[in-house]
Amino acid sequence: MSDRLLVSTRKGLFALARGGGGWKVDGVSFPGENVTLAHTDPAGGWYAALNLGHFGAKLKFSPDRGKTWEDRAAPAYPEGETFAAADGKPPSPATLKLIWALESGDSSQNGHLWAGTLPGGLFRSDDGGQSWKLVRGLWDRPERAKWFGGGADFPGIHSICVDPRNPRTLRIAVSCGGAWITEDDGATWENVGQGMFAEYMPPEGRMDLAIQDPHMMVQCCAQPDHLWIQHHNGVFRSTDGARTFESVPNVQPSVFGFGVAVHPREPGTAWFVPAVKDERRVPVEAKLVVSRTRDGGRTFEVLRNGLPQENCYDIVYRHALAIDESGDRLAFGSTTGGLWTTDNQGDRWTQVPVRLAPIHAIKFVA
Amino acid sequence: MPTVVIAPALARWLDPAPGINVGERSVEVSGGTVREVLDALFAQYPVLRGYVVDERGALRHHVVAFLNGAAITDKTTLSEPVDENGELYLFQALSGG
Repeated sequence: MSDRLLVSTRKGLFALARGGGGWKVDGVSFPGENVTLAHTDPAGGWYAALNLGHFGAKLKFSPDRGKTWEDRAAPAYPEGETFAAADGKPPSPATLKLIWALESGDSSQNGHLWAGTLPGGLFRSDDGGQSWKLVRGLWDRPERAKWFGGGADFPGIHSICVDPRNPRTLRIAVSCGGAWITEDDGATWENVGQGMFAEYMPPEGRMDLAIQDPHMMVQCCAQPDHLWIQHHNGVFRSTDGARTFESVPNVQPSVFGFGVAVHPREPGTAWFVPAVKDERRVPVEAKLVVSRTRDGGRTFEVLRNGLPQENCYDIVYRHALAIDESGDRLAFGSTTGGLWTTDNQGDRWTQVPVRLAPIHAIKFVA
Repeated sequence: MPTVVIAPALARWLDPAPGINVGERSVEVSGGTVREVLDALFAQYPVLRGYVVDERGALRHHVVAFLNGAAITDKTTLSEPVDENGELYLFQALSGG
């Protein structure tokens, strides 16, 4: 099991290590700064995405597990590109608003990275973030004109699944822009995801693939054609590489949420952190629970052992629920800074004794 | 030559992982317009470019530049002239409470 966690918070990047006494803070990088995401590459390097407000979105790299940091380039939209959301906001120059997803690409190519951003650009780096190129094959698709923001003013790419069988195949998910697949390293793209539906749209637009709001998409490492989506309007499962999805309607106590985790070898086993749908976004009955299925979504267990069961208003963002390579250890962090871990797939949770700022993202370090 | 004063909140990011209690920095650079002065500044401190201007080269929405004590009004083309003894003060806009 992984004994190290990176926790990206509104007030810094916290490295936690598990020892004899449980999880403890082992290091803090960028104290006081808004760290929105962390990524680790196959060579052991750490990346941190910051959103500094006044000074924009930044990318940092550490070659030594957070001891020292170096500046890396933030993805930049090319001169002349404009952005116009489909919800009627006036067009504006396309500029980077947020780095919302970071994944390593071909592991045989050190420094190959993909970055998903707001307002909807996917970027590629072949030099560890020293430079970036907008993936034009996706950006230039006419369907992008239908994209719009969900909880933000701009659409954004938050999920990047690199196919372990072939790193030239990527599946991504966009809020609100649906699910997309490329099988030629990003040159051409197909808008996929038949079966998802969008209750927030007028009736004639609810099945439109290009306006779906997948909050998060994850892929089973051992069986990459099996993917799960926590969508704005429910949970969906694919067994054909994201081309089609089936609704999973019986998630208890609610089908609304942001995060989803899938077991690395058992594609039918997945976890969710449900909440009251979408006008309120608080735990159902103010009780924090995790919902787990082990049979592909036919049935769910509501896991609450070790989680607060009264007066709890913690919400878990899409990148803040993580599973390690063992498939037994999970962790999640909340908007009120709570952090919980389990070593038995959620049968019992333990709160890490820290009081953090709002947690944006959780990442196990291999 | 004109002087650029970089406020502490900005100057601290000259260090990739900054500490606290970083003071302001004052730099003399050449240039006859705000744009030219900033380009000369970025030539000395390349990392500052992304903190001060966006991809379009416009001053970031929440960054303010004062030229000789008055806020510049052209934040996009940055065309205002800067005289030989001009002082350009770069700092974060006040927003929120």
